[in-house]
Amino acid sequence: MKPTALLRLALAGTRTDTLRVVLTAVSAALAALAVLAALTVLAIPVPAGFGPRDGSDAWADQYTSALLKEPGLRPGVAAGLLLLTIPVLALAGQCARLGAPSRDRRLAAIRLAGGTPRQAMTVAAAETGVASLLGTCAGLVVCLVGREVMHRPDAEGRIPLPTDVLPSVPALAAAVLGLPLLAALAAAVMLRRVIVTPLGVTRQARSKRSPRPWPAVLIVLGVGASLALEAIRKNYEDSGDPAFVSPLPLLLLFGGGLMAALGVVLGTGWISHATGRVLHRFARRPAPLLAARRLLADPWHGSRTLAALLVAVVFGAGALAVRAFFATMLEARQEVQRFYDEAAGQETTGGYGSDTFYLDAMDVVDTAVVVGLVIAAAGLLVTVAEAVVARRRSHAALAAAGVPRSVMGRALVWQTFAPLVPAVALAMTVGTLMGRGYFGAEVREGGGQAQTCDAAPALCEENFEKYSHLIEVPDVVRAVPVPLDDLALHGLGVLVLVAAATGLGLLFLRPGTSVEELRTG
Amino acid sequence: MTLLQARGIVKSYGPTPALRGVTVELAEGEILAVTGPSGCGKSTLLHCLSGILRPDAGEVLYGGQRLGTRSEADRSRLRRTDFGVLFQFGQLVAELTAAENVALPLLLAGKGRREARTAALNWLERLEVADVADSRPGEMSGGQQQRCAAARALVTEPKVLFADEPTGALDALAGERLLGHLTRVAQEQRTSVVLVTHEASVAAYADREITLRDGASDPTGLGAYVPAGGRP
Repeated sequence: MKPTALLRLALAGTRTDTLRVVLTAVSAALAALAVLAALTVLAIPVPAGFGPRDGSDAWADQYTSALLKEPGLRPGVAAGLLLLTIPVLALAGQCARLGAPSRDRRLAAIRLAGGTPRQAMTVAAAETGVASLLGTCAGLVVCLVGREVMHRPDAEGRIPLPTDVLPSVPALAAAVLGLPLLAALAAAVMLRRVIVTPLGVTRQARSKRSPRPWPAVLIVLGVGASLALEAIRKNYEDSGDPAFVSPLPLLLLFGGGLMAALGVVLGTGWISHATGRVLHRFARRPAPLLAARRLLADPWHGSRTLAALLVAVVFGAGALAVRAFFATMLEARQEVQRFYDEAAGQETTGGYGSDTFYLDAMDVVDTAVVVGLVIAAAGLLVTVAEAVVARRRSHAALAAAGVPRSVMGRALVWQTFAPLVPAVALAMTVGTLMGRGYFGAEVREGGGQAQTCDAAPALCEENFEKYSHLIEVPDVVRAVPVPLDDLALHGLGVLVLVAAATGLGLLFLRPGTSVEELRTG
Repeated sequence: MTLLQARGIVKSYGPTPALRGVTVELAEGEILAVTGPSGCGKSTLLHCLSGILRPDAGEVLYGGQRLGTRSEADRSRLRRTDFGVLFQFGQLVAELTAAENVALPLLLAGKGRREARTAALNWLERLEVADVADSRPGEMSGGQQQRCAAARALVTEPKVLFADEPTGALDALAGERLLGHLTRVAQEQRTSVVLVTHEASVAAYADREITLRDGASDPTGLGAYVPAGGRP
């Protein structure tokens, strides 16, 4: 098949197909922006002769944000930006399901006309690839224009964002061309369970067995990894064991996080099935009964639709636990500083007790979590709308049989929220445990001895050794509280976002239940 | 000379048997009608003969070679070189124009767009639907759609045309017109045709007819010849 023919077949479609292409392009543009931002951060030059962990001489003082100034922090910032692509790519994956029935019919017709399975898959993957390429090109344009627009140095010539640097051309090309290639490969992988035959599309049957609670093992391993990391850190602090600087902590950090998030996502299948059984056992009204049947029939629907959201919830809850740690650490430091200042007979200076760097960094993390949640909710909206549109004939049949539209709407709400509430609770618990596991449930500051000068400042400056003396700094130990208020707000925010997405998705129910639908096709 | 041969074809859908050891032969240039009541396995037999489905047991030989041992991709290629397939409905790509639909097998085979379009227009003209070349299936009548589908099945000049209830969704006049075109082209090109139908008037266009009942053919396995005068 020639490329022009492939392009024509890939881009042939209905309005729904066009919408899918547009949403895929938008997702690709967002992912490209995140990747380009990460590359830009990494492109900030480190002066020759300095490594990323060198001192303040290597700092880029032209930036207002300490996260950009300090070379050692930039890889972390870049990694955070790259993590933002996860919900974006999940959104792209959910968009790929839009209008799937008509695309499947088209692929089947191509197979009937003599197209091989590989050609049918190539057509589907090419659609994703082309849409993604359009998106990444748009992302590059937005990035370049935004860079010019946002380059506003303050009075001291400092800038808030790295708008003064640009990644290298190969790096830009890799982002703009690599993402569409990845998206096309992902589309091909997603279609691996789809067998396009000339008689239509069938999906390879999944196991008929009910989901089992084995993902709990992944969660336990993930949380265990975080606790192990804390133990290694303590061991290092006590004995200087070089194990802490080995790749093990990184492996535990990312591997543990991945396992726990995967456990929550896969566990949602079991949660859906369990809530379906409970609903079926106790529900007396048509809507929850309908929802219960759907949950039992396809318990994995929940993990597919809520995957990105739950990962964002785990990450968000973890971030809240880490924020609680840093807030407690700051309080403890302030107390140590107060003691030190009193001992020195000076007014409270703040000192290291006033350094809010970590809390400021957590503000950035929280912003990323909110962005991730909003993107995940957008993906959920797409999924709900797609579910309504895909079921329009059965909905129309129900409407024709006299089932009120409100019952169908409530059934959809039950179907979404019944597994969502326990899944979000589980995700928040796991995130909190991991955050506390990585950073510990206790803060210890002070301790040991410190030298203080209680003479006049001029004398202290003149001869510090002569006028100073040693003081015993008390150990300040604080338990890190579980941020229940913040967690409640986080959970509530997630539920509100999901409610908004589901409510918007239900708008498609009215046209979808038109009896006219029974006459089409 | 036998072009296509099926021996003892067995096919089940789960626990439900569709074909129970059907044997049938198709000669070069022959039009064979497969008749029988609904659910007797006519379409399943056509799908097995055309390589769309693999039989559970028995074998299909095309040009003396077993179809069952060929890969899915090989059998797909066969559908755009040696076989043409025409169904009752649903085989046109709704988003492509009539000319693009007809050109599709050629495009899939790697032909250029211009060359494929020229061939497609030629076939649309032969089947008297050139006026809808740039229309999409939704803008055409059922008869026009079926003739476009027939053009698509014939554009590769196949050796065998498989037609499953090709007139099932058409009125009598449109059906007669389509069958007239198909038989004329088959005669001109020496194309063999397997014509699945439950209508005696459609089966009358065939040289030979076999009847299936509950997934089995008549005991001779060769079918009964339609008297020469029976063909219009």
